[in-house]
Amino acid sequence: MENREQIICQLNTTNEPHIQKVISRTFEDLCSQVKSESLVLSVCNSPVFIWPNKGGRATPECLTPNSPCKDLQQFIQTDDQESMKSKKKEKTNASAVVINLNLMTEVTEPADLSATTLMRCSTKHHFLYTAMPMDCVVSLPSSERLSVVYDALVVALCSQLDEMKKVMLRHMKGMTLLIPQPFHFLLPDPVGLVTVVYPAGVPDSQLEIQRKELHSRFELPGNRPYLRRANSLHFPDEPYKDGYLRNPHLHLKPPTLGNGKLYLVQGVYSYHHYMQDRVDDNGWGCAYRSLQTICSWFQQQGYTEKAVPTHKEIQQALVDVGDKQGSFVGSRQWIGSIEVAAVLDQLLGVTSKIMFVSQGSELASKGRELANHFLSEGTPVMIGGGVLAHTILGVAWSETTGEIRYLILDPHYTGAEDLQVITDKGWCGWKSPQFWDQNAYYNLCLPQRPKTI
Amino acid sequence: MGRGYIVENMVEKYLSSLQAPDSTGTSCVTGLLIGQSTSQRDLVALAVRTPQRNTDGQGSPSINRRAWISLDHLDVEWVTEHARQVSRMLPGGLSILGVFLVTVPELSKEAQNILRQLIFAVDKHISKGRLWSLTNEDVTEKVALHICTETRKTVCRTFDIRDPKSSAKPADWKYQLGVCTSWQVLTCSVGLDLLIPVLDMRVLPQDMEKCMKEGLKIWAKQIEVGLCLINGKILADETEIVAGQKKNAKPVQQTFQAQILIPMAEPPSVQTSTVLVKMCSGSLSLKGMVHCRAYLQSNKSRVKDAAKVIKRDIINTVSSRVEMFLEDLLMEGVDNGRTSLKLKTTSTVDTVPEMPCDHPNKAPKSLKNYYISVAMAAAVALLATGTSLLYLSD
Repeated sequence: MENREQIICQLNTTNEPHIQKVISRTFEDLCSQVKSESLVLSVCNSPVFIWPNKGGRATPECLTPNSPCKDLQQFIQTDDQESMKSKKKEKTNASAVVINLNLMTEVTEPADLSATTLMRCSTKHHFLYTAMPMDCVVSLPSSERLSVVYDALVVALCSQLDEMKKVMLRHMKGMTLLIPQPFHFLLPDPVGLVTVVYPAGVPDSQLEIQRKELHSRFELPGNRPYLRRANSLHFPDEPYKDGYLRNPHLHLKPPTLGNGKLYLVQGVYSYHHYMQDRVDDNGWGCAYRSLQTICSWFQQQGYTEKAVPTHKEIQQALVDVGDKQGSFVGSRQWIGSIEVAAVLDQLLGVTSKIMFVSQGSELASKGRELANHFLSEGTPVMIGGGVLAHTILGVAWSETTGEIRYLILDPHYTGAEDLQVITDKGWCGWKSPQFWDQNAYYNLCLPQRPKTI
Repeated sequence: MGRGYIVENMVEKYLSSLQAPDSTGTSCVTGLLIGQSTSQRDLVALAVRTPQRNTDGQGSPSINRRAWISLDHLDVEWVTEHARQVSRMLPGGLSILGVFLVTVPELSKEAQNILRQLIFAVDKHISKGRLWSLTNEDVTEKVALHICTETRKTVCRTFDIRDPKSSAKPADWKYQLGVCTSWQVLTCSVGLDLLIPVLDMRVLPQDMEKCMKEGLKIWAKQIEVGLCLINGKILADETEIVAGQKKNAKPVQQTFQAQILIPMAEPPSVQTSTVLVKMCSGSLSLKGMVHCRAYLQSNKSRVKDAAKVIKRDIINTVSSRVEMFLEDLLMEGVDNGRTSLKLKTTSTVDTVPEMPCDHPNKAPKSLKNYYISVAMAAAVALLATGTSLLYLSD
């Protein structure tokens, strides 16, 4: 549930303890607004309105406090066909359904029943004003009663206000107050869904202390990021604004090998390929695109705040490390896995392992190494050889038979971001060892996760 | 095809009782016509004459006799101020639909010009400081009624107030019994809790009105775009609020409870990472509750009409109370750090409205205050009649 609450307060002096008192009092007021009878929850895309602090009164009236919360779904209207399809799928898979709510207030539910008064104050003061970006999530089984849901939401709102107040006061400098912003994270079981409030404008790099505290509180490993802003949960019903496809491999049916296991990339990456971003790199840019896919993985796992580099930026990085001449920038020259590793190091501070096979046929024997890579690092692998570059997103490998299949993301695709085409035509697909040129030599770049939170 | 005004019978009786020249010698009688104009029907429920201006030392009868042959002495400012006072007191849904003019036959020719002048002046004065905006669905034509004292003939025309150069269009004027019966009623109580900062460059008390207006404008916009529930339900705009009416069934007056929902806060127009800080020289705080009530013609009124009238009544009620209050405050001239004044919040129809100034027994402090008491007395008398008609049950 996402919404905003207004915070208005007046400060007569710039005395710090006084400011703290006023801010605390303001947050107390906000909390009482949240607990008041005039709070109304509006279910998005539906005619449902709920008064959680008035005994769970709702309209339409058939939604009583004892109704199971899955009853809310029937009122939600979606107009496009796509989401109707996916909804059906979700029902059969029993996966989570997201119901979005907005916070509203009923003007016609007066808290103060006294006659109107107008007060005028003529003392000089500072006036502080902002809208608090409240965003709470509550996860409950669909059979849970609505009254439990309402209580949970109100409690979540109040505790978020409390956290926001703490963050605001902790990062206060004189009259500069930072707006607290909530982020949701889906942490590994048994922790699950948590919401953390970070101050706006403070980069992740300066929030390490807070993350250390949280890592120890949630018993998370201290060597990989879980709570950077980039790690925040992306809700299934929200489209990605940048237009790139995420994890197309999840829509594929994996191969079944006798005694075989799957070793796949961990986390989220974006599919980068020929002709994207209005760059016509058809015929020469495949390694660049594979590198972009790898960079997108590091950005979305929270290892860097840098955007995915463009072809020119990649080329400039190689010039900067002395690997190429200045004329390289703007050219259509190919790069290989060594250059990919160099750029990852230069731009992202990421080190990589290089694997070399003298013949494509040898790749079939690299099952164990690749499996171990995906288990420990889980990063996408760039493979270059012959005249082509590809990205390996995982392997299906049988330790006993040695059978192997490669999950390949092909940067040579020139079409639109059409998931159906990409999966049907094998632009993202499982390939056999015959996929490789049996006589060419190949270099593989295996990026390593930096040890950081 | 002009507009057709359906007028309550009582209005005919009232208008025929008006004489010109009257006892004080004024050669014409002006007044207001009150009702509701929708795209479906124009209903006139009340008429109220402009009260006489009691200026001392006015004239011997000889002067008056000269006056009756011209309309020169017509005090447009007085008429518009009366209109503003009456307009403030009207419950939601009722508004000033136009102006009437009763004259002797000799002045009939001038009458049309005078009516035109009055219509535009009244509309301009009433809409000053209005916090809500007219929509495409609002009727912008106002009625100008002329009655000749001798022939008792009525000439009814309309002017479109959006176009000052427009010419008068003919309109129908028909009397009917029972116009005021069975109107639908919408009620609600609205809580207020506004804190309006007075920015550093402004100074209280001079800029108080400006600051108050700016703050109220933001609040009024929220109300205008807010969601309206009728009797606890959210219905589509075009739904009739009295559903399932048989074709010729007599409409029954119903009372509907309105609820207005607004988002808790608006996202900022510019995303910032820090809280906005402003230096202020003071602040205004408006807190408490007002009762609001609006009336709707029973003929096929839709949810969006209902929402419109109750929202406008909410905005008007708060806005006019604050106006009256600011007038008082300016007159009192109080300027000690903090001032607080209680507004009397009475609904304008079912009880006798109290005088807005705090000391009704003192002599009027200024002309403005005087206007108020006179105008209200006149309006009350007629609204009292109006009230009983509106509440007539089957």
